[in-house]
Amino acid sequence: MDELLAQFLIESRELVDKAVDDLLALEKTPNNRERLEDAFRAFHTLKGGAGIVEFAAMQEALHCAEDAFAAARAESRSVSALDIGNCLSCLDQVLEWLGTIEQSGAIPPDADAGDIVALFARAGAQQKASAAPRTAGDGWLAGLLAAHASAASTARSAVRYTPEADCFFRQQDPLARIAALPGLLAVDIGPRVPWPKLDDLDPFSCNLTITALFATSPAEVAAALGDESRHAVIEAVSDRTRAIDAESLARKAAQILEAQLQLLAPAGEPHPQGRVASAGLVAANVLRHLGRSAESEAVATAAAVSIAEGRLEPLVEAIAAAMKGPTSAAAGASAARRKDVGQTMRVGADRIDALVRLTGELIVAKNSLGHSVKVAEQQVSDLAVPLKSQHAALDRLVTELQRAVVAMRVLPLRTAFQRFPRLIREISAELDKPAALVIDGEDTEADKAIVETIVEPLVHLLRNALDHGVEDGATRAQAGKPAVATIRLSAARDGEHVVIEVTDDGAGIDVTKIRQAALDRNLKAPEALAAMSDEEALDLVFLPGFSTAKTVTHLSGRGVGMDVVRTAVARLGGQVELRTAAGRGTTVRVTLPFSVLVTQVMTVEAGGQVFGIPLDAVVETLRVDSDRIFAVGAAHAIVLRDRTIPLLRLANVLTGRPNDHSDDSGPIVIAELDGQLGAVQVDRIGGRMDIILKPLDGLLAGVPGLAGSALLGDGGVLLVLDLAEVVQ
Amino acid sequence: MTVRVSGAGVIELSGRCGVEDAEVLQRHLLAAPASTIEWKGCELLHAAVVQVLLVGGARVRGEPRTAFLRAHIAPIIARSMKQP
Repeated sequence: MDELLAQFLIESRELVDKAVDDLLALEKTPNNRERLEDAFRAFHTLKGGAGIVEFAAMQEALHCAEDAFAAARAESRSVSALDIGNCLSCLDQVLEWLGTIEQSGAIPPDADAGDIVALFARAGAQQKASAAPRTAGDGWLAGLLAAHASAASTARSAVRYTPEADCFFRQQDPLARIAALPGLLAVDIGPRVPWPKLDDLDPFSCNLTITALFATSPAEVAAALGDESRHAVIEAVSDRTRAIDAESLARKAAQILEAQLQLLAPAGEPHPQGRVASAGLVAANVLRHLGRSAESEAVATAAAVSIAEGRLEPLVEAIAAAMKGPTSAAAGASAARRKDVGQTMRVGADRIDALVRLTGELIVAKNSLGHSVKVAEQQVSDLAVPLKSQHAALDRLVTELQRAVVAMRVLPLRTAFQRFPRLIREISAELDKPAALVIDGEDTEADKAIVETIVEPLVHLLRNALDHGVEDGATRAQAGKPAVATIRLSAARDGEHVVIEVTDDGAGIDVTKIRQAALDRNLKAPEALAAMSDEEALDLVFLPGFSTAKTVTHLSGRGVGMDVVRTAVARLGGQVELRTAAGRGTTVRVTLPFSVLVTQVMTVEAGGQVFGIPLDAVVETLRVDSDRIFAVGAAHAIVLRDRTIPLLRLANVLTGRPNDHSDDSGPIVIAELDGQLGAVQVDRIGGRMDIILKPLDGLLAGVPGLAGSALLGDGGVLLVLDLAEVVQ
Repeated sequence: MTVRVSGAGVIELSGRCGVEDAEVLQRHLLAAPASTIEWKGCELLHAAVVQVLLVGGARVRGEPRTAFLRAHIAPIIARSMKQP
């Protein structure tokens, strides 16, 4: 594939992600102008890219989407849900084409934008037919409410009054009439037809449209307006009309404040009092409308100081400070977003991986130097002291390098999470279960490999949550739950781990049904099932084979491919746990290592050989007297804090000898494996070390019980055990 | 006089400015477009006068006497002001 096309693929994919993000945000807050502009830009840039590589069909499809936005912008209405759906379909089509290009290395010659064009054409016709009269009416009301937020919160009616052009001749003062109406909260004045120039203005002809908000009911306003209500549109203001987008309001306010600052930019004028007074007044009003009365007062005071001292600075500073206040949070976030974009550099993943590999080798080399230091110390060499200090310096540097490299591979989970709102939207529509996805902690970072690989298991979990966790509408209504289910996806860093949770507010899992299903499927013996605690029984859903039959899914209310989820997570060195509360919902908790670069292991000796055990799994180590080890059938177990834990002798397991406990003096490692405890008896426990775990290949690849190998400082090889497999 | 030129580049509005003041104000503003409007003595502005202020984009200074003018009309006029 030529370089231009490769670049086009990368950039287009990023833009599609960005556009999807913006579209979903727009769906939630249709009045969010900034998002609308962002989405428009993304589509526009995508189209531009398609033009550069001469991909006409893609250009055509994107052009339609762009038109839909342009129409919404021009009519200053919000983008309809229909438009958003169509734009998403358009992006789907684009992704499909991009996929084809990636595979074939060329622009698909048979690509056709006909379907997308037709989609938008239909939507356009529908919108014209149904929405035209309403948008015209809604426009002024929404604008008025947005411009007067604090008044809007108490307004009960809104008036648009367009007096007759000759009303001045009839000794009428439309403004006085509005001022005299009961419960006046806010007024706006605009021209009925665009303003002429001052010298073309007929001062005796009224060209005003007055809009106003009132705390009184539409009926009271109409009565007070009397005859003139013929020339007025009076609307009731309800909570629905009041629900204007707070973000756009804050932005509008910021724009007004910004304009005041520009107004105050020193122009060398000898008497700036007029400008100061008006700018101060406007700024104070804007802040008051936003309900920020303290800042409003501060600006008013600063304006007075400015007038008194004939200096602009106090007011400028006060307005600037107010702009940095609450309103700037949203603006700041988007600025930060843009800044992020500016400061990133695109580097191929393979180059980073090469760096990771090299760092790994360096760590091994450093470890072997440590070994040499020990040898030198034993031989009481003169070199021992300088070697030791150099090793310490190297150790520090390598640790820093390792941290930097790990940080380079780190991505915010947002990159994985950003596709989920859309997924939920689709599944929710497909299953006809309205659901909202709440995402928490999407800024939590994790290794690139983890962020990329976790998507699939999470898709499974989210689908499960909605499909089997959340009840149908009727059941929810009966249980007194809100009709729209909440699926919460949260992520947080916990030490060296990243914890991701998927929580639904559904019916929860019925453990008795799980037990029954496990029995029906012959997954466990009846006695074993009876001995299980509820938690252990719940864990059965992760067993392969538990979820193969649809009836089981139906019965248990969960279980599609949970074993797949656990396997995928385990491959990343993580664990999955399940918690459920009857009637209140289910939480699946996925714990993953933060970095896959370095694994901490504990070394143990068994059967004359040293092995590593990933420290993640180790709960504690202890020694027990041999009389506390007892036989359970053919197996052995110990009792630890009232829990019976199966015990294996590592040497026997690895050599395949029967589980003979004739020599029971060795220390015991208690490990937690997918929520269950297991005990492994070893001959000796060594130290702890950081290793670069290499997957096994060649002859050793298929050996069960081994997670991988690592090179040791003295050149030896450490085999690292996969305890879960060992215990099985 | 409710509308008068009170100094170089300053037009003063005071008392109750009625419909007939609109034309006077328009004339003053056309004669000196950069004028500042001093409206601190103003009690009432007829809609016709407000219309001239909005079209003229005149800069106003001072605080008018009534709450209605201060709270509702001042911000509207401020928004229409021409950038200096």
